[in-house]
Amino acid sequence: MRAPSNQPLAGKPPPIGVSLRAAMPIDWTAYNAAGVWDELIAPRGRARPGGGPLRRMLARMSDAELASRQAAANLAIRAMGITFSVYHDETSGAVDREWPFDIIPRLIQKREWEAIERGLAQRVKALNLFIDDIYHEQRALRDGVVPRAYIERSREFRAECVGIDTPHRVWSHVCGSDLVRDGEGTFHVLEDNLRVPSGVSYMLENREVMKRVFPELFEHLAIYPVDDYPRQLLASLASLAPDGNKAPRIAVLTPGLHNSAYFEHSWLAQAMAVKLVEGRDLTVGNDNRVYMRTIDGLVRVDVIYRRIDDLFLDPEVFNADSLLGVPGLMRAWRAGNVALANAPGCGVADDKVIYTYVPDLIRYYLAEEPLLPNVHSYRCVEKEHRDFVLDNIETLVVKPANESGGYGILIGPHATKREREQTRRRIRANPRNYMAQPMLRLSTAPTLANGTLAPRHVDLRPFVLSGRKRYVTMGGLTRVALRQGSTVVNSSQGGGSKDTWVVGPTPPRQRR
Amino acid sequence: MKPHTLSRVAEALYWMGRYLERAESAARLVAVNANLLMDLPAGLSLGWRPLLEITGSSAEFDARHRQPTERNVAHFLCGDAASSASIAHAINRARDNARTARNTMPRIAFEYVNDLYLHVKGELAGHPSRSRRGIALEGVTRRVQQIEGFLSSAMMHDEKWRFLRIGNHLERADMTTRIIDARARHLPASGAPEAFEQVKWRSVLQSLYGMQGYLTSIQGPMERPAVLRFLFKNEAFPRSFAGCLQSLRFALRHLPRNTAPAQACQAVARRLAKTDVRQLEGDSLHAFIDACQVALGKLHTAIDSTYFHFEPDASARRRKGAAPPPPAAGEARP
Repeated sequence: MRAPSNQPLAGKPPPIGVSLRAAMPIDWTAYNAAGVWDELIAPRGRARPGGGPLRRMLARMSDAELASRQAAANLAIRAMGITFSVYHDETSGAVDREWPFDIIPRLIQKREWEAIERGLAQRVKALNLFIDDIYHEQRALRDGVVPRAYIERSREFRAECVGIDTPHRVWSHVCGSDLVRDGEGTFHVLEDNLRVPSGVSYMLENREVMKRVFPELFEHLAIYPVDDYPRQLLASLASLAPDGNKAPRIAVLTPGLHNSAYFEHSWLAQAMAVKLVEGRDLTVGNDNRVYMRTIDGLVRVDVIYRRIDDLFLDPEVFNADSLLGVPGLMRAWRAGNVALANAPGCGVADDKVIYTYVPDLIRYYLAEEPLLPNVHSYRCVEKEHRDFVLDNIETLVVKPANESGGYGILIGPHATKREREQTRRRIRANPRNYMAQPMLRLSTAPTLANGTLAPRHVDLRPFVLSGRKRYVTMGGLTRVALRQGSTVVNSSQGGGSKDTWVVGPTPPRQRR
Repeated sequence: MKPHTLSRVAEALYWMGRYLERAESAARLVAVNANLLMDLPAGLSLGWRPLLEITGSSAEFDARHRQPTERNVAHFLCGDAASSASIAHAINRARDNARTARNTMPRIAFEYVNDLYLHVKGELAGHPSRSRRGIALEGVTRRVQQIEGFLSSAMMHDEKWRFLRIGNHLERADMTTRIIDARARHLPASGAPEAFEQVKWRSVLQSLYGMQGYLTSIQGPMERPAVLRFLFKNEAFPRSFAGCLQSLRFALRHLPRNTAPAQACQAVARRLAKTDVRQLEGDSLHAFIDACQVALGKLHTAIDSTYFHFEPDASARRRKGAAPPPPAAGEARP
């Protein structure tokens, strides 16, 4: 379904149905920017399907009322202790900042979501088959789907993982792919986060905050709940237990208090009622089993949801001076005595150059057409693509293969001449490490900015669980760039978030 | 499935208990000392040095200050986070440990700890005036009591809770003996006018919240033998040595693998039972207190090596040389 792109219609009379009675009602007709898809407001200020109740309600609210709801949300966030750590200093310990949250929800139609869900499930299935293939027969390399050189030179390829059989042949048990919508309203996958994606706890907490702040909207809309996630994650982890253990002991492994996602690690452990452990809580015996140190003595652990990067997992194998990891953990994993989620080595498919091959991988492993498109991409290692990138760098976004959190990215149109030149040199020196994409016009959603509603760019991170079964979250985490015109949504760089509402057809009013 | 308590979490709760208790004791000590000095004539004044002895921090103090003046000592024991004897230091450590154990306590408990931390940071920094300091110290004790009262009424009284209580009572028993020891040393056995001797013993009782209890249960003047007996042996008084031991015994009974710690606790109790504390004076009192503190140290070691830093058993021993040194959650006093 393609919709026409939005045109500003300033000067025209408001369409019938827009209320003008509130003190400062928003003029939706002056809201849209040209050529950008808005999640709530269609051209001419009308609501997108399913967005009517929200649009009407926002139109009735004055700026003062919106501000007071935002203040209520901020208070709730402080009281609920929803934080992320930004840095650490000697005297005061870790510094927590409250989670930046925007009270205007982002809506997605249930019907549209179901299609995305299928697309994500398809994609993650193919990615897991690819990782499994890479560490076994390497059929995709033999058949030339992906050039062998990419894998051999990948920073995320782990020779230690070759030949390991993982439960259900799954490697990336928790995947958080980033989706963006273009000017025509089509969802694209921007990147796949297969290693240790974070954000799901904020998705769940955002909903709790919204229930406090906008209880009346929940009455009038069929908003699908999101809070099944911890139960699904627990079931997914349990399905990985060695020897078919029906009551496995599960733990979340965190780098500790000073990690920026510690809040989430602790949150998930609590929500699943499993132990939150650090590397020093665990020990691997000569029997190649993993134990945790408890006041009852050593107690065996069967499944570890690790939120530590591969290279810090086991000082015996990887980074020898890692104090975060557990000596011997890889031995235990290779012996099949403990399940690690996500599996070590799964990052080999979480590489911005490998990303460009995912549509081909879906066709190769599943013999299906991809349901969710990639963003059009250029591989700098291929001469034609590289020349195009070098010639047009001021219109492109250039990304290194193996960074996350928005680091190392060059945004061509916003970069200085010097930065562009620097990136050109880097591409020429190591073309394998770079890919480029056209500047996207990310979709916008109404957001409270300087006391009034304005369009701000958003993306969407749904989470996909893979174990014995597959599960896709209902919606995901919507991140929003709070600065006007900015497309940087990372919380470490001034982004915020919104609650994401997957809405069904409004239920008929109940008879009283 | 038994919800096994992680050693690291048990240790954090234990030290949180100790540090909270330590901060409260320090606050009481400074407040009571300021009061005591007002009641003593200049010639008999003990000054601020005894507080350094009580907290075992004389050497650390002398390395950084020339004179044990009120200004120096009060800062050293209150707002100076760099001093290991200070309230600020104790609260920082209590908060760090609370963060580690945050998941195991009701959510609001950490907010209370944080509030205490902010209070100390805001009100005790620098050199507040005597009256502002007094109010700030009262704020410390009140907040510590708020945390302990809240946890007592809201936290599951499970194994984790026992570790918190063990930390509280071990520190409390230690502090009770330290206060008696330092004060007794500076109280001349005879010669001083009786009125002033009473003043000094009263300050000991006040430091330990023991005034009311002493007056109602003893109903006599504040004399050394009776005060010592009350502070060491009266189990009904929660800050008495015997009272602390009783609480420790009770908490240990609820823990698994408790043989070694229970024996160590029993050893302290036996030593106390054998001794007629009314007879102790001067060197004999000091020697007895020394022995008590050594025994408490052994109890700490038994708890530490049983629950926190035990050797894995043979079937699952970590490979040689691989074990990283565990970061200390806290430290006992010298």
